[in-house]
Amino acid sequence: MLQFLLRRILGLVLVVLVVTFVTFLMGLNAPGGDPIAILLGLHNTPAEHAKLAHQYGLDLPWYQQYGNFVLHLLQGNFGYSYAFRGQSVSSILVPAIQVSATLGVFAFVIALIIGIPVGILAALRRNTTTDSVSMGVMLALYAIPAFVIIPFYQAWMAFDATHGLFYLPTSGWTATELSGNFFNDVFIYRVVPISILAFTEMGYFARLTRTVMLEVLGQDYVRTARAKGVSERAVIYIHALRNAMLPLLTVIGPSLAFIVSGAFVIEFLFNIPGVGYQGVHAVTLHDWPVLQYTVVILAIAVVVMNLLTDIAYSIVDPRIRISA
Amino acid sequence: MNFEQRSEQLVNELDPTPLELDPSRVTVADADMVALQEKTASPLQDSLRRFARDKRALVSLGVFVLLLIGAVFFLPIYEHIGPTLAREHGYIHIGPAQYHGPTYLDDVNSDSGPTALHWLGTDGQGRDLLARVLAGVQVSLIISSLVVIVLDIGLGTLLGVLAGYYGGIIDTVLARFTDLVFAFPGLLFAVLIAGFFSQAVDDRFGLPGTVVLVAVTLGITIWPQMARYVRGQTLQLKEQQFVEASRTIGTSSWQIITRHIIPNILSLIIVAATLDFAATVVNEGVLSLLGIGVQPPNADLGLMINESLGAIPYHPFEDLLPALVLVLIVLAFSFIGDGLRDAFDPRSKD
Repeated sequence: MLQFLLRRILGLVLVVLVVTFVTFLMGLNAPGGDPIAILLGLHNTPAEHAKLAHQYGLDLPWYQQYGNFVLHLLQGNFGYSYAFRGQSVSSILVPAIQVSATLGVFAFVIALIIGIPVGILAALRRNTTTDSVSMGVMLALYAIPAFVIIPFYQAWMAFDATHGLFYLPTSGWTATELSGNFFNDVFIYRVVPISILAFTEMGYFARLTRTVMLEVLGQDYVRTARAKGVSERAVIYIHALRNAMLPLLTVIGPSLAFIVSGAFVIEFLFNIPGVGYQGVHAVTLHDWPVLQYTVVILAIAVVVMNLLTDIAYSIVDPRIRISA
Repeated sequence: MNFEQRSEQLVNELDPTPLELDPSRVTVADADMVALQEKTASPLQDSLRRFARDKRALVSLGVFVLLLIGAVFFLPIYEHIGPTLAREHGYIHIGPAQYHGPTYLDDVNSDSGPTALHWLGTDGQGRDLLARVLAGVQVSLIISSLVVIVLDIGLGTLLGVLAGYYGGIIDTVLARFTDLVFAFPGLLFAVLIAGFFSQAVDDRFGLPGTVVLVAVTLGITIWPQMARYVRGQTLQLKEQQFVEASRTIGTSSWQIITRHIIPNILSLIIVAATLDFAATVVNEGVLSLLGIGVQPPNADLGLMINESLGAIPYHPFEDLLPALVLVLIVLAFSFIGDGLRDAFDPRSKD
């Protein structure tokens, strides 16, 4: 187990190093001109330029700059922004990480607690109307991209707003004027973005659960359990479901990639100040360090989730440790 | 020999009907032969027949062909339909080549809604929505085709087969590279590269440059998945008896790969590529939506959604039209992919 863990952690460090290096190389050759000259604007004298370039560490050779890039990541201050003089990247990204984490975790949990039971139900009522309708809806949720659903939702809300009907805000993460009421300040702003982010993954989980459950229900041990007279309830919950959870566990880590990809779109379209939103806005501002650390942070989140999944899986199924 | 037997013998000699075609004289063993001869359909024909029975896949194929015809053939025709108009108090005359172009600002008619002049209306800057949507479909299909045909099918299959068949260093390098790519969500990598370079590339090389950039950024993370998939299939096939038999009679490795292995996994590759196409259309839309894919004023479905976001409360159609067209392409490819999978491998349809 220890050897397995060490190998996986070593692999993780390697991936993070490659990701930081690629990201760093992009920044080294970034288009858009000299960031120091842009920051200084009309005050761009050679002396001022040299001073600020030194402050940003841009006068160093590339390998030292890369060392600083990794060091800033480990220290958690992420260096300085190119767009806002004197502002650290962490002051932009740390609040954004909290927002994105809230968005992602809630979406993930909702996807699990709806997607998996729907998948089980569809598998148990295989080839009935329940099965085809629920799987049809789940396929639609999985296949229709969020950036198609959101404009429709926003158009609907705009219609409702002008006609005085049921209305939810279509932009923002909290109310701009706080009234102290959790429902009005927070809940109505977050419920829709979180749900839409959950949709893709919900569809994925539901369809996967159904497939896995059908496979498990066809196994010999399920037939044996039925043959020796175990109640149907016990067959499903004790014999089938527990074994079906194993393959589901493997996709939990990789499914975070959905959340990360979806977060860019959701945060952009709902104006939610998360990591994806900051990363995309950094592009317009040519604020490369923000974009770089956005990518690095999200990549680390995915890689760490993959590792945790691997560990969890190897605890549940010891065969993995031996073969891997 | 009595008379009856003799006459039967004569009839037999005169009878031009071959034995197996005369139903009255067919034995049980012959009946099997006839059944075999009647069932001459190849596996491919069987698959096509199964596909033709899948209504959902056929409708999807129809929708896709319609969009393709619209984008390739109707767009140039549309630029010749319409009267010549006088603008700027008669100092300037414009024809459909201008106001039916995807980037022309017909600002007198902005936010017009469907009219005889602009069939599906115009956006906030007076650009013709029909022309823009069709041009956007073009861009989207070109990028996705580049990704899927060149990188996914071309590079992915080539390296996957080589890695699976020969193993060795190419297999090791591919395995490490795919591990790296799997650890890193594809869209994130695309956001990184496109975020840094799409504007600069558009400034220097225009639309063709952006198309290539976006295709490469999206393709880099897609082909290793295909390569790993093809590698696994090749490993399995390599051990099959017909490949072994072929090797014992002296067939070269190259011929085994091109004659036996690739034809056997081609259907799997096509199914996977169709589904990858749908995913690529979405990701390309996301990049343009975020403003880091195709740059304005060029037309792109994702970009059109982005540009009309502010108009949703007043002119929702301008935003919903590109969204609808995009979802049509994505669903069409998903359903065609599903249909092809069921057609090629009926067992997969639980």
